[in-house]
Amino acid sequence: MDFTNIAFYIFAALTVGSAGVMVFHRNVVYSAVGLLFAFFGVAGIYVLLAADFIAIVQILIYVGGILILLLFGVMLSQKLTKVDVRTESMQLVPAVVVVGGVLAVLLLTISSTPWKLAGSLEYEPTTKAIGRLMMTEYLIPFEIASVLLLAALIGAAYIARKN
Amino acid sequence: MLFNFANVLTFIVFGAVFVGINITLSRILQARNPHPVKLSTYECGELPEGDSWIQFNIRFYVIALIFLIFEVEIVFLFPWATVFKELGLFAFVEMMIFVFILLVGLAYVWVKGDLEWDKSTAVPDPALAPSAARQELTEAIAS
Amino acid sequence: MDYSSIIKDNLISLNYFLPELLLTGLIIVLVIADLFLKDERSPWLSFVALAGCVVVLLSVIAQFDLGSRSLFQHMLVVDPFSVFFKLLFLASAIAVIFLSIASVELAGRPVGEYFTLLIALTLGLFLMASSTNLVTILLSIEFVSIVSFVLATYLKTRRRSSEAGLKYAIYGAFSSGLMLYGLSLLYGLTGTLNLYEIGDVLASRDSNGMALTLSTILILAGFGYKIASVPFHFWSPDVYEGAPTPITAFLSIGPKAAGFAVLIRFFNVALAGEPANGASQWSALPELDWPMILAVVSAITMTLGNLVAIVQTNIKRLLAYSSIAHAGYALMGVVVLSQDGIYATMFYLAVYYLMNLGAFLVVIVFQDLLGSEKIADFKGLAWRAPVPAIAMAVFLVSLTGLPPTAGFIGKFYLFAAVIKAGPAFYWLAVVGLLNSVVALYYYARILKTMFFDKAAEENSISVSPYYVTLLALLAAPTIILGVYWAPLQKLATNSVEFLRAL
Repeated sequence: MDFTNIAFYIFAALTVGSAGVMVFHRNVVYSAVGLLFAFFGVAGIYVLLAADFIAIVQILIYVGGILILLLFGVMLSQKLTKVDVRTESMQLVPAVVVVGGVLAVLLLTISSTPWKLAGSLEYEPTTKAIGRLMMTEYLIPFEIASVLLLAALIGAAYIARKN
Repeated sequence: MLFNFANVLTFIVFGAVFVGINITLSRILQARNPHPVKLSTYECGELPEGDSWIQFNIRFYVIALIFLIFEVEIVFLFPWATVFKELGLFAFVEMMIFVFILLVGLAYVWVKGDLEWDKSTAVPDPALAPSAARQELTEAIAS
Repeated sequence: MDYSSIIKDNLISLNYFLPELLLTGLIIVLVIADLFLKDERSPWLSFVALAGCVVVLLSVIAQFDLGSRSLFQHMLVVDPFSVFFKLLFLASAIAVIFLSIASVELAGRPVGEYFTLLIALTLGLFLMASSTNLVTILLSIEFVSIVSFVLATYLKTRRRSSEAGLKYAIYGAFSSGLMLYGLSLLYGLTGTLNLYEIGDVLASRDSNGMALTLSTILILAGFGYKIASVPFHFWSPDVYEGAPTPITAFLSIGPKAAGFAVLIRFFNVALAGEPANGASQWSALPELDWPMILAVVSAITMTLGNLVAIVQTNIKRLLAYSSIAHAGYALMGVVVLSQDGIYATMFYLAVYYLMNLGAFLVVIVFQDLLGSEKIADFKGLAWRAPVPAIAMAVFLVSLTGLPPTAGFIGKFYLFAAVIKAGPAFYWLAVVGLLNSVVALYYYARILKTMFFDKAAEENSISVSPYYVTLLALLAAPTIILGVYWAPLQKLATNSVEFLRAL
């Protein structure tokens, strides 16, 4: 097993473990910290997949933006940090059955499918290639994104405003 | 590329190990004799009141929301900046359209007052203004 | 590397992108005009939005002559199929603007954001109907979802409206998560995002493994959420009840029709073989029997929608479940993989636009007059306010699918398409027929309450001429198309062509 494989398993364990903390912890602030490490783990996996730009964006947007927003949301409510946020109906058995079933289906799918593989992985900076594609082939999604962001901004500001 | 990220990883690992070693060392070496006064939040004697978890002002949330949207915009700018010279005028116009649409959004939140932190400058807070009785008392003392 | 050819193609594509560009311009005009407005409740922005929509309408009508063309490196497409849906969306947007101008619920709320978001929603629907790439499909569906969340929450000081927005957002996030995973599986399977190439790659291989089935089902979650089919319908009753009624009317038509457009395009381009020359019927990818999956979804959707609608006491909730049932009916046309089927679905959606919008208009009128959405409060309304009651009778008869209304013709085409496709789907036609009987029961119950129950009060209520005109404008075509449907038939026949291969 070479270095990237070992690193992959470390990052995967970090992601899954932190996601577990996020889901199962009673205090919502701890959940948020769990989410933080899950985001970092995913960023690490992106690096191993040679997607350097996406990895940085993951940290910039998710850790630096969305997570902070989540924490502000938690702090807006005084009670949230003190109460047990887990719902009373746990439904442990049905949940385990469903999750186990989904896992089995996914494992079966992954093993039985003729995936289109990328071949050998080359670790090269991707920012330039992304920029080129964004300006040529993916021009329309890129420009739609700006209108989407504008609409989201107006909507978010409208809802968050007090009156 | 991977090598550069290995540097980052090394940095993180060293940082974590450094902090870990220091905390453990201080645990081992410290003299421990707890005392109620020593364990209070402020050793100078000031007693904290209430909970440190206070309700945040919603303005933090609004600002964070706006920040997030523009952060996403900035992320789109990076790849463009690396190639815009080779793609020329066309790429420049494309990005200007993108930025213009989002500038409209900035103008919107600006004019609507969402960026304003202190929203009640015009009306002085009556709680802070000295009451009429207090004012009279001050004047009486002065004369 | 030389990019000039791609840049040139993008520039040429701009000529065929006029309606969307105009809509974007309209959004920006509305935002900027709103900033200069002294009173954010003054109504003139609604007239700007209306005028803008009419201009866009003209540009869309001009697109009918363009034929089929792939745009922007196969990201989008302009073809008669998408133009038909664009017309439908614009008609909905214009009608909803008329409903919003007079709405009592929305009076006193800021106008600028409302119409900006309404037009943005329309733009999202346009993109949904013309997407031919997984990226644009996902982006346009998200676009529509995010804007819809805000519009559903527009009465944010009202608890039900906030609840509606929150539920919509949570279910929306869940279903787009599932869909995104499905799309990523499809990408992993084929190595391309282009629907046409995906179709080619899938057809060229003997076996695509379980991933194909799994990803199709996951992607169906995203589409199903938009058209409100079982099991992704849970949001719709609460959202329909809590959202401002004009928005409810829009959500029940626009995103649903757009969901059908993207579903028809996705399944027929990526997961079906091409029709042999001149044939009007084609077959699904042999290894994945998605018509059967859709048939089962259709049967369950209409049955559940109709059965639960029976016990509803709130008219908006009842119409929500009825709208779920109608998604089930419209799916019948997608199941059969023929020109006739797609044609029937398109015809039905156009008819559904008239009758459902009309029903919601009556709900708005009664809401304003009575301040109530409870069916029990409609007792004897036919004698107190005859015009809306008679209009409601027309719309409900049409929703049931009885002659002489447009709803009957729409259902007739759907059933005919299913029967014509052969005995494999006879059972679906039977289920649809039984469901129509169930639907008759609860629609007739509303009519009975309005016409035969004794009113608590006797005084007559006057309805403003504005509403009377709107009601007439929607009720008249509902009846006329039930007798003389040739114009709509011609429009749908001309629009059934969509770009099947590059």
